[in-house]
Amino acid sequence: MNAWIRTHRHALADALRRLAAQPGASLVAVFVIAIAVAIPVLGVALVRSVDAAVGGLDTDPHVNVFLTLDATEDDAKRVEAALRAHPQSAAVKFVPRAKALEELKATTHLAELLANLERNPLPHAFTVRTRTADPAQLAAVRTAWLQLPRVEQVSAEFEWAEKLGRWTRFAGRALAGGALLLALAVLFIVGHLIRLQVVTRREEIEVSQLIGATAGDVRRPFLYHGALQGLAAGGCALALAAGLIVWLNAELSALTSSYAYEFKIVFLDSSTLLAVLLGTALLGWVGAWISVSRELRRFAGRS
Amino acid sequence: MIQFSAVAKRYPTGYEALRDVSFEVAEGELVVVTGHSGAGKSTLLKLAAGIERATRGSVIVNGQNLSSLGETALAVLRRHIGFVFQDHKLLFDRSAGENVALPLRIAGTASDETGRRVRAALDKVGLLAREKALPITLSGGEQQRLCIARAIVNRPAILVADEPTGNLDAESSRSILELFLSFHRVGVTVLLSTHDESSLALLGGRRLALRGGLVESADRAGEAVPG
Repeated sequence: MNAWIRTHRHALADALRRLAAQPGASLVAVFVIAIAVAIPVLGVALVRSVDAAVGGLDTDPHVNVFLTLDATEDDAKRVEAALRAHPQSAAVKFVPRAKALEELKATTHLAELLANLERNPLPHAFTVRTRTADPAQLAAVRTAWLQLPRVEQVSAEFEWAEKLGRWTRFAGRALAGGALLLALAVLFIVGHLIRLQVVTRREEIEVSQLIGATAGDVRRPFLYHGALQGLAAGGCALALAAGLIVWLNAELSALTSSYAYEFKIVFLDSSTLLAVLLGTALLGWVGAWISVSRELRRFAGRS
Repeated sequence: MIQFSAVAKRYPTGYEALRDVSFEVAEGELVVVTGHSGAGKSTLLKLAAGIERATRGSVIVNGQNLSSLGETALAVLRRHIGFVFQDHKLLFDRSAGENVALPLRIAGTASDETGRRVRAALDKVGLLAREKALPITLSGGEQQRLCIARAIVNRPAILVADEPTGNLDAESSRSILELFLSFHRVGVTVLLSTHDESSLALLGGRRLALRGGLVESADRAGEAVPG
């Protein structure tokens, strides 16, 4: 084993020994950092879950055109021709009333109720992809299509889904900003804790430097200390967030069971989990680097 | 091996410890630096060991001009120069063995090799039986021996000692100085400071007398006084 690996092994062992020497203080430090990390982790899980739910909704600009219940297939063909001819119409999909009933039975809990009905309560309908999402232009389209014979109702229901999507994108950005601030807080916490370690070991550092330790040699065990603290805090934060999500999902499950769509918070995927662990370890490393470098400059200034 | 050319050292406080000092120490020589307190002995030794940097002039050790070395290179050079501090600079929360092992740990020496060298160094200074003892339990003379063991554990070609008998009784002083003589006899270059006349008589070697940061008198090479 070469000297470089041995110096790193010594530094790692030294960092572990220091952490184990003060178990109470180490645990408190890890827990404080973990709370700061758990908040954005939980936020990311929540926003991603909402985003996934919104992604399942149709947010492309489209208009639903419902015919009257007595409209025949011939009436539908005439309306379809008129819809296709409209300049704002990009694509037209006909949904026959029978198919609409089947879909309703398949996607809701109303199958039993619908099976007992004497006749199909749903009309023929069209889903029209429009070339515009502009509210004023859509209002004009809606007015024009309401004039068509046998057209009962025209609705542009995608708007709420689109708005929800915008909100989740906004939440994502707010979360990124918050995560950045909390990352700075982690840097500060780790830096402060490492600074205390450096000050405590000042004599040892000075003696080591006198007998040949480079700044890198002095810094190394503290960097491992910071990285290990960050890694442990990352793991603790993930455990905290996972526990909270399980607890929240139990409530959400009860809350959304009566809806057609059951919403639940999905925990982070394995690559994100790894990124959180590596990220917190890196924050610990960087926080330690900044702190030790600053203290070494102060020592050099005093000597 | 060590060459000072017109070296001056001014500290940030403005105090000028050395002014225009020039001298040479050949490989395997023993040179004793003398002078009263404030003459510049400690500064000269720290410059020779790469602990301080000269303000003017050049300090060349083993062919390397220390002024041109970066901080990392200077630190690495210090690993090859054993320094015995006047105030020992021991770590009091570490055992005697751990104190001696510190330079080897810094250099990344293997554990088994570290153990062997530490025991050899402690044996050389007569402290092998105190390997596990904390420095606080050692006498002044033993602490100085421990400091010497730490200085020689890396097998340096140059040994620098700043007033190694400063606070010791006559018997301890004598045994410490005999240690330095034994290193000198096996070819180690020794640069040592003292203001104690009895030490001078025992050590012999070449003299370099400082006064007020200047060389007051210096034996030329080959004018060493027999110890």
